[in-house]
Amino acid sequence: YCSTAVLIFRLLDFGLLRLTKRAMNISERDVGISFRSEEMTRIQMFLQNDSAYACVSEFGELGLVQFSDLNENVNEFQRKYINEVRRCDEMERKLRYIEKECRKCINQSPPDSGENPETPMPSEMFNLELTFEKLENELKEVNSNKETLMKNKLELTELKHILRKTQTFFDEAQLTLGQTSRSEESMSTSLLSAEAPIGSSSGDSQQSPKFGFIAGVIARERVPSFERMLWRACRGNVFLRQTEIETPLEDPVTGEEVSKCVFIIFFQGEQLKTKVRKICEGYKATMYPCPESQAERREMSMGVMTRIEDIQTVLSQTAEHQTRLLSNAARSIRVWFRKVKKIKAVYHTLNLCNTQKAIIAEGWCPSSELDRVNLAARRGTERSGTDIPAIINTMATRRTPPTYHRTNKFTNGFQAIVDAYGVADYREINPAPFTLITFPFLFAVMFGDCGHGSIMFLFALWMVINEKKFLAEKSTNEMWLMLFGGRYIILLMGLFSVYTGLLYNDCFSKSLNIFGSSWSLAETREKMNVTMETLRTTSTIQLNPAVTFQTGSPYPIGIDPIWNISKNQIVFLNSYKMKLSIILGVAQM
Amino acid sequence: MGSGMSGPTFNIDNGYLEGLVRGFKNGILTKNDYLNLVQCETLEDLKVHLQSTDYGTFLANEPGPLAVSVIDDKLRNKLVLEFQHLRNHSVEPLSTFLDYITYSYMIDNIVLLITGTLHQRSISELAPKCHPLGKFEQMEAIGAISTPAELYNTIIVDTPLAAFFLDCIFVQDLDEMNIEIIRNTLYKNYLEDFHAFCSGLGGITADVMCEILAFEADRRAIIITINSFGTELTKDDRAKLFPRCGRLHPEGLAALARAVDYDQVRAVADYYAEYKVLFEGAGNNPGDKTLEDKLFEHEVKLNVNSFLQQFHFGIFYSYVKLKEQEVRNVIWISECVAQRHRTKIDNYIPIY
Repeated sequence: YCSTAVLIFRLLDFGLLRLTKRAMNISERDVGISFRSEEMTRIQMFLQNDSAYACVSEFGELGLVQFSDLNENVNEFQRKYINEVRRCDEMERKLRYIEKECRKCINQSPPDSGENPETPMPSEMFNLELTFEKLENELKEVNSNKETLMKNKLELTELKHILRKTQTFFDEAQLTLGQTSRSEESMSTSLLSAEAPIGSSSGDSQQSPKFGFIAGVIARERVPSFERMLWRACRGNVFLRQTEIETPLEDPVTGEEVSKCVFIIFFQGEQLKTKVRKICEGYKATMYPCPESQAERREMSMGVMTRIEDIQTVLSQTAEHQTRLLSNAARSIRVWFRKVKKIKAVYHTLNLCNTQKAIIAEGWCPSSELDRVNLAARRGTERSGTDIPAIINTMATRRTPPTYHRTNKFTNGFQAIVDAYGVADYREINPAPFTLITFPFLFAVMFGDCGHGSIMFLFALWMVINEKKFLAEKSTNEMWLMLFGGRYIILLMGLFSVYTGLLYNDCFSKSLNIFGSSWSLAETREKMNVTMETLRTTSTIQLNPAVTFQTGSPYPIGIDPIWNISKNQIVFLNSYKMKLSIILGVAQM
Repeated sequence: MGSGMSGPTFNIDNGYLEGLVRGFKNGILTKNDYLNLVQCETLEDLKVHLQSTDYGTFLANEPGPLAVSVIDDKLRNKLVLEFQHLRNHSVEPLSTFLDYITYSYMIDNIVLLITGTLHQRSISELAPKCHPLGKFEQMEAIGAISTPAELYNTIIVDTPLAAFFLDCIFVQDLDEMNIEIIRNTLYKNYLEDFHAFCSGLGGITADVMCEILAFEADRRAIIITINSFGTELTKDDRAKLFPRCGRLHPEGLAALARAVDYDQVRAVADYYAEYKVLFEGAGNNPGDKTLEDKLFEHEVKLNVNSFLQQFHFGIFYSYVKLKEQEVRNVIWISECVAQRHRTKIDNYIPIY
């Protein structure tokens, strides 16, 4: 049964092929698979300088001409249209910058309407350049404004934290008030006394130690190294206190959050002051002027709060302006990208042509499409508005033409698999039509599970039904693209696997007993003298087919389900499946 | 010494990185690339041609007219990225080896910062000029330093360069000449330490690296001698700056210490076959290669040869050096193109 079914299937396969061959003679263009590659003609195009751009863009939209490089010995940057290509590069750079800003600000990639714009004419290219430049300049300006505002806000926030935290430092000193001794150990207590002048240059340096201080903010991860450096450089003559700022602050340039600490350094003398300053600069710690008396600090603190609020308002307005600019740009950015790519492609192609007097291009196109190519050239001439038509000559040549297989969305996957092993020569037999059936079928012979096969089939069916949606998404995930690109292949593989799974009687690796097994165990017990005792004690019993098998009525479709409970199922079935696969495979060769 | 160094076991820890470096090495610009680059008329042409090499679109997002400094930065960034990737994925002993490669950049950075501070430049101006491979945390606090002892005590002591600095502490104050002495003493100690480390690793790494480092030591000795003619550097001081891990040690170095002019240096080099060849044909006449160029060529040859052997760390060092040479070449060509002074544009050192 199994083998006859397989034979019938192979006949169907060849019948299908003969049908398609006949159909191909009628209208080759509509059939999505070619038995051998198309006939190609070498054409030479004489284009006028004015209409060359429009003609090449029409050829591009048609997609049926392959241009040859007539300037092989010339360097990239010495070709005629290299300046225009550079302008396109510059436009692409601006567009990439705008896209990056969009993504950063609006937090999603710009939407794609799927619109396919026409190739813009050279005059329009100039307008596009102006638009992009204006947009880029505006964005840069808004960005720099925003950055300045954020920097100011950061400074004010840091100042606010400093004013708040240093309060605690000074408070501690105030606890032990009025002690002005010169001994080293009470350095912390004699730091500030109510009357002792701080940092001012009065003459009585002998009476009370004058301690200057520097307050600032430093990134948290640099604090240990900073402390160590201060200790070493100043030989332990400075005193550092620091506390953390709990909320992380936003860095104006990168937008990331950084944790910082407030520190205050007390020292004595001018030399130490310059040294401490230089070290602070080296560790990128920002220093702030901090008033000493509590009243002044409170006043400053309130002033800082109001300024922060003001800046916040201006900042939100700037952010709003930026979002508005970017959402406007985001609507058209995909279309712009496509337009610029098309312009660049046209100039790239023009660079391949011989541009001594008129523009001469050479290339290949399918012989059956010569009419359409002529039509495209005429359309291009009309669009550019010149009277002199472009001339297309066919050339006889000894060169080997390129191989062109027509495919549709169904046969595309199979053709890709065949091409991966090697592209067929010109007018050689194309193996792809045969693989439409043989490849999924051979897969199924090896896979052979109707349960898992049906899951594969349903998965592929889901991909095929929703293919428009998936195509529009333009995902970049490699694994998904591979699966999606092979959806028709997987569909057929699943379908045939269900068939072979039924033949192998394998569903989720278990057998289905639909018609009742042909191996009768009741007869066995009588005729082979098997008692309940033997059944309980022995682990395996060998069935005698002469006794057990009901001759004349084998299991109708597929392998008998009794095999599922036999001990040598895997050994037997593996050998069976392998031999079948090898025989079918070698027969292909 | 033997673990991870012999053929079969090398790949366990270092196979991925060796494969990666060999891939990078295949992207080094060839003679054809240089021939195309010298034909460029503007820097934009240079950018177009570099797009077809391994550098790809590294200049694609640079606005406006290109400047040579921008090209220099971007070229170097690529090398820095690659090196940091290698360093992040390495384990001992390769990580120590790669760290040794960065010490020379650290020495350069320190000297640059000290010189800049002497000339009253601010740290924020000097910091971007430092080489990224040689950055370390305490680097920017050099602004506060005024004597070498302080430099050691506050900054160097935490870095791996601490061991190299011991001979320099007694130098009293920092002026032009003393800074050069500090640089050369640091470098001498670094070279000798690196040489000892490589010999300790044994195997093919020791063979390859010790040869390269020996040449580096001899080359520094020769250059120091030639540059010291006409300066106030005494012969004893000069002798103390020679690294002792090269071929010239001890007789050649002693002879170099006594030399007073170029011909005597040449006479010393004549005793050593490889160096005799370098001095021949080197001169300051137009059309001749200078001695420095010939030394660079010899270094490039040694580095290219290190790729002929497998399962050793020398390829990492050679890759960094060859890339540096390539950056120097491209910047030389860019400068000639930018200034339209094409007479000496062919003075680059071809690598492959």
